[in-house]
Amino acid sequence: MIYPYKLKKIMEEGGGGEERRMKMKAMVAIDESEGSFYALKWALDNFFIDNNNNNEEGSIMVYLVNVQPKFQQHIYPVGVAGAAFYPATAVMESVRKAQEESSAAILSKASKMCKDKLVKAESIILNGDPREMICQAAEQMNVNLLVIGSRGLGTIKRAFLGSVSDYCAHHVKIPIVIVKPPPEDQTKKQH
Amino acid sequence: MATTSSDEKQVMIVAVDDSEHSSYALQWTLDHFFTTLPNPIFKLVLLHAKPSATSAVGLAGPAYVGAAEVLPIVDSDLRKIAARVVDNAKQICSKRSVTDVITEVVEGDPRNVLCDAVEKYHASILVVGSHGYGAIKRAVLGSVSDYCAHHAHCTVMIVKRPKTKH
Repeated sequence: MIYPYKLKKIMEEGGGGEERRMKMKAMVAIDESEGSFYALKWALDNFFIDNNNNNEEGSIMVYLVNVQPKFQQHIYPVGVAGAAFYPATAVMESVRKAQEESSAAILSKASKMCKDKLVKAESIILNGDPREMICQAAEQMNVNLLVIGSRGLGTIKRAFLGSVSDYCAHHVKIPIVIVKPPPEDQTKKQH
Repeated sequence: MATTSSDEKQVMIVAVDDSEHSSYALQWTLDHFFTTLPNPIFKLVLLHAKPSATSAVGLAGPAYVGAAEVLPIVDSDLRKIAARVVDNAKQICSKRSVTDVITEVVEGDPRNVLCDAVEKYHASILVVGSHGYGAIKRAVLGSVSDYCAHHAHCTVMIVKRPKTKH
């Protein structure tokens, strides 16, 4: 069950009887990194080409997902008297607001990219662990394809930092496209 | 990078082998990217990595005495399988009226073969199927799709076959 923090209108297109074309519903995971915007750009350039000059509705629908990691402050009781550190509510509030703003900025930039290519897009903001939320969202929205960028980490960095694209590639049940950063950025080869 | 001329198509390599998973991957790819568009934007290359006979026999044990005699038989068997795989793949394509297809069979370890082919064709995307192994099987048997996702220098698309049994 996903509990979206903010769910901007998700139009469920009634595909009841009208399946004359393979409707492509794709989900693209976006965060603030260059890699994910490059992935979206790559996908728009190469995949989501919609020759719908004669159709009144396009057959491609893109869901842009941004997952904000949950910010949790742990409470550390300190001191003999058991005086505890409480997460200041002001801090939590400001973090939440900052996350909202960053999501909004990211998703608006991404939707603009889609609009420029005449591709329909919907934005979704989720809270939680990016890996799990992306996989859950992909299943729940019933998409055909998941597009995700990759930071191009080597094996060791990947083991320490973790890789969202790796996790998704193993756990998601639908086809997944992993877009690597363009070769000019790989100045240092790491293995 | 925007190429509008028709002979500068982007190259898509689809890895095919003997399994159901890879034919499913090929069919899915054709259905979603080649039949929905009047003029396909990708040039399709079907690549089969034929395991070398020595590596196949090596699984029987290092001290297999009759290895020298068995090798030619194993080799011709592998060749037949490769031909059948390529044939099958071509049929799948032609059923969907996709004719601009290059097929290739390269001998060697699938992981290296696929990554080298990406370099050779300057492919923009590599499509592989996936057996859908769990973590343990993957560690023991190895995963070609995993290796390619990490080491290929282009975008990788992993197509999984939906599980039929629950």
